[in-house]
Amino acid sequence: MKTFKPYMTILRIVGGGLLVRTVKGKEVKRKTFVARADLIDQLGKVAETKGYSLYALVNEIFELVLKAEELGLDLRRIFEERGVLEKAKSAGFILGLESLWYSMTDLVYEKAKNRVLKEWAEAGLWLAKRYATSCSTDPIEDLKRDLRAFIWNASQFIIEVEGEGISVRILSPRFSEGYSFLLAALLEGLLNGLGFEVVEREVFRGNIRLEGIRNRR
Amino acid sequence: MAKIIEESKSKGKRLVYVPEELVDEALNIARGRGETISKFVEEAVQLAIQACGTGLSLEKAAEVLKVLQAHRVLGGAFIPQGALEFMIESVYKSSREELLKRWHEDGRLYGRYLRERFVDPVEAIKCFLEVTRWDLNEVYALKEGEDIKLGCVSTTLSLEATELLCSFLEGILRGLGCTIKSLECLKGMIIVSFKL
Repeated sequence: MKTFKPYMTILRIVGGGLLVRTVKGKEVKRKTFVARADLIDQLGKVAETKGYSLYALVNEIFELVLKAEELGLDLRRIFEERGVLEKAKSAGFILGLESLWYSMTDLVYEKAKNRVLKEWAEAGLWLAKRYATSCSTDPIEDLKRDLRAFIWNASQFIIEVEGEGISVRILSPRFSEGYSFLLAALLEGLLNGLGFEVVEREVFRGNIRLEGIRNRR
Repeated sequence: MAKIIEESKSKGKRLVYVPEELVDEALNIARGRGETISKFVEEAVQLAIQACGTGLSLEKAAEVLKVLQAHRVLGGAFIPQGALEFMIESVYKSSREELLKRWHEDGRLYGRYLRERFVDPVEAIKCFLEVTRWDLNEVYALKEGEDIKLGCVSTTLSLEATELLCSFLEGILRGLGCTIKSLECLKGMIIVSFKL
């Protein structure tokens, strides 16, 4: 646990926001910067829960950002990517090489078509129920955003809701035939779970187009 | 100084003290990016708040990013875990050899890429398994003299899924150019000993 070192002495103002503190006889110059109050308040809470002083935490942040810069890392991207992984994990998805998935789906689609289609549709239904029963104010929007991240192997990914209708259009020249049909089954299960009935579908290798209308029953 | 703090507070700002050398470095980076120091600091603070929730070290974060990058380069895709298990179960008996070969080949491709891109490929394999295979409860890599022992433990993997993962791992190690000394594969457990 990092805490404010007790042997640090009282600050003295040098001028122009530059402060000097003495640590065991060694002078550490300090500067001030201005930041948004809400952020600093949040940081204060983080510091409290971690048992840090705000000063120690702010210094650590600076060190972290500078180290990331030195390593050529984009911290924002790290958090975005990590977020995708975490969401995929909680949504029951697993990451692997797409060539492997395509060969697997093609093989199973050929040998046990009806059973595997049903399995993927059920996975979609489960996913929709998971989002629909979450505390989100707009589960469809959340699902759209997360699916766009999970289906990163698609060159086009569009889900549009207009009035009572919903339209799904996915394109990828890389999709295998089996994968295209199974992904379509998953999306159809997903739409059913969100309360839509699929009234039009056009699926072939690399192309999925589903049109649904809200089920009023 | 007191006056500055008061004015800043009224605009929803706070003054925070940091060591001068850190501010100077931050200033240089912000200038290099063509940003103001305020924008840089705000972003850093926002990221830091996020970072506190992940518990990731920067080195680990860098590895995660590289593993994901490998998946983007080699073509990665997410599929529902339940559906994958069902697929394995459905065709494993009738197509065991074909599946094992396929997983092995894809593992080799992955291993070849890791060899090119990662300084420490063993750490990369470990990270790859930890990041992508969340059905594994434990992944470890131990040095035993010149050999390395890599282990994966899962309480949920079926025998079929374990065998496929084992074949994939074997492929990765071959792709890396490793010599496999021994390999054990039990339901939910893989232990492989190899030399780099």
